[in-house]
Amino acid sequence: MRIAESHVAITGAGIISAIGEGKEETLRSLMRRRSGIGRMCYLQSVHKELPVGEVKMSNEQMKCKLGIPLEKDVSRTPLMAMLAIRESMEDAGFDAVMLQERNTALISGTTVGGMDITELHFINDDLDGDTSFFSQHDCGGSTEVIAKYFGCFSQATTISTACSSASNAIIVGAEMIKNGEADVVVAGGTEALSLFHLNGFNSLMILDPNPCRPFDSTRAGINLGEGAAYIIMEREEDARERGAKIFAYMAGWGNACDAYHQTAMSPQGFGAQLAMREALRMSGLSADDIQYVNAHGTGTPNNDQSEAEALLAVFGDSLPPVSSTKGLTAHATSASGGIEAVICLLAMEHHFIPSNVGWKHPMDGGFIPCMGADGVYLKNVLSNSFGFGGNDSALIFSASPAPPAYEETMATQDENIRQSAVVEVKSEEELTDMGKYIKPFEARRMGKLMKASILSSLKALEKAGIEVPDAIVTATAYGQVCNSEHLLASLAGSKEMTVSPTLFMQSTHNTLSANIAIQTHCHGYNITYSHGRASLEWALRDARRLIRSGRCGNVLVGYHDECTPLFRRLKGEVTQELYSMSIVLSCSK
Amino acid sequence: MEELIQLLKKQIIEVLNLEGMTPEDIEVDAPLFGEGMGLDSIDVLELIVLLDRQYGIKLTNPAEGKEIFRTVRTMAEYIYEHRTK
Repeated sequence: MRIAESHVAITGAGIISAIGEGKEETLRSLMRRRSGIGRMCYLQSVHKELPVGEVKMSNEQMKCKLGIPLEKDVSRTPLMAMLAIRESMEDAGFDAVMLQERNTALISGTTVGGMDITELHFINDDLDGDTSFFSQHDCGGSTEVIAKYFGCFSQATTISTACSSASNAIIVGAEMIKNGEADVVVAGGTEALSLFHLNGFNSLMILDPNPCRPFDSTRAGINLGEGAAYIIMEREEDARERGAKIFAYMAGWGNACDAYHQTAMSPQGFGAQLAMREALRMSGLSADDIQYVNAHGTGTPNNDQSEAEALLAVFGDSLPPVSSTKGLTAHATSASGGIEAVICLLAMEHHFIPSNVGWKHPMDGGFIPCMGADGVYLKNVLSNSFGFGGNDSALIFSASPAPPAYEETMATQDENIRQSAVVEVKSEEELTDMGKYIKPFEARRMGKLMKASILSSLKALEKAGIEVPDAIVTATAYGQVCNSEHLLASLAGSKEMTVSPTLFMQSTHNTLSANIAIQTHCHGYNITYSHGRASLEWALRDARRLIRSGRCGNVLVGYHDECTPLFRRLKGEVTQELYSMSIVLSCSK
Repeated sequence: MEELIQLLKKQIIEVLNLEGMTPEDIEVDAPLFGEGMGLDSIDVLELIVLLDRQYGIKLTNPAEGKEIFRTVRTMAEYIYEHRTK
């Protein structure tokens, strides 16, 4: 049975970042090479020495634009998303009613979520009063604020894979369109600057006190930024029928895991290579068909060296112009994949290559980024996004629909997908078994939830007789809340002086999935859903899609959550102190 | 110095969460990284936080840590000379 005859068309885009609100302003900044990086104005941090890429608007200004009452406590993360999504809908010629009539999904990437609000309550020691602010704290809660504002989504979920979140949201959205699971998808990501991750990145010593210089030999780290960007995807024939303008097509995508280190990339960027190769394979294009690569290019010594190696390995002599636009926008973490997707679409529409602002000196190995070009016709463009834990993704946008790269047959059907193992870990006592699998020294940075997730995963794989799963799909409603709570307390107690890098690293939701990949040496597809109680359902849906399409013979699916007394009180939910369940799904035919 | 070394060993065990280890298990002149105890780059960052919090010493470049954190003794000597609290 053939599936997925239709191409995924992109019919709208919306963006807000340090270089402007909306596509037009963004385009002007890109063409004039005007960076949005500068002194901190809106984030109230003691670290004024760190340049940032802020959206040049206060929360109040955003609320005014959105018609939200000023007294309403709304996190900056959903506010920026609402502005970008509203633009994307207008751009696509949709209004809320039209979207209500269709099966419309919102797939949003974020990691910080409503942390900007939560951290203020911690710092002001204001946790005993009204706890309503907390409903928008977690990633899923933050996405629900966006969904409620528009009221036109029949389904919504949140992807949290750190700095590749938005790209993975776009991948999930494109898969849903291809598989007929939605008629219209709004996908991208949003992330507001927070003291939490500013201090977290600072503890990893990868923030540059000067404007960042991606791919420069003197590069010394990231400038953090913020923003939101979303694209609208629909089936090509639907777009044509309603006479919508098609800006580009989603020609291919790849998601792979470096499975090397929790925060660093492997020297050859192995995961990045896999992601790019998979995207190329799916699109049916070869390396020399790509006219531009928008690199992840964060400006850290590690990322840029590894990414350059990976690009050279994949593209060889046919390496097209490559640039990182983070010297303009700064690194908007979970939103960056969305921002760079929209930048790629603008570049394709207006025939230019964005400049790698900040670059002066070539790095070892001779890799030289593109400082900008005009009057170039970009037929196919690739965009990279890499996240902590080696969650690497690549997207390919094409000006015209490509012929199907390979016979897209449905390999199997849902009734042939079986659960070959299920293992639960429900208490800390059960973690004593951990020693059989991992030495205490190796587990020194693992909190109880991470230990539980690894234990249930390894036991489930053992039961299913699988050593290395083909993919890992993880669900966590709230992530490692013990770590986040600890970090928030130390942030509040020390006036932002020092936070533990381990606590920060382990507070990202995808760190569980990344560590399971490291333990099982799984370089395949790796994603984390973080959308409250619906997380597991979304993860299972994703896993079944992977097996149905024939891309995976088996998938390790996990659902892992933990709780603290404070979290339980703030959230007002009865949640287990520790719960981890791993399921191995396999194809029986 | 001996006192500082003993205290430092305890602090290292605590901040790096070296479960099951005692101060006696850490040899004062044995390398902390690589072939020695096997600590890694994230441990370096945790030790930098330790220097800051406990001894008021601020390192801005993790590369500086390489020599300072070679052994418990080199670390203690550095703290002895540079501590501000």
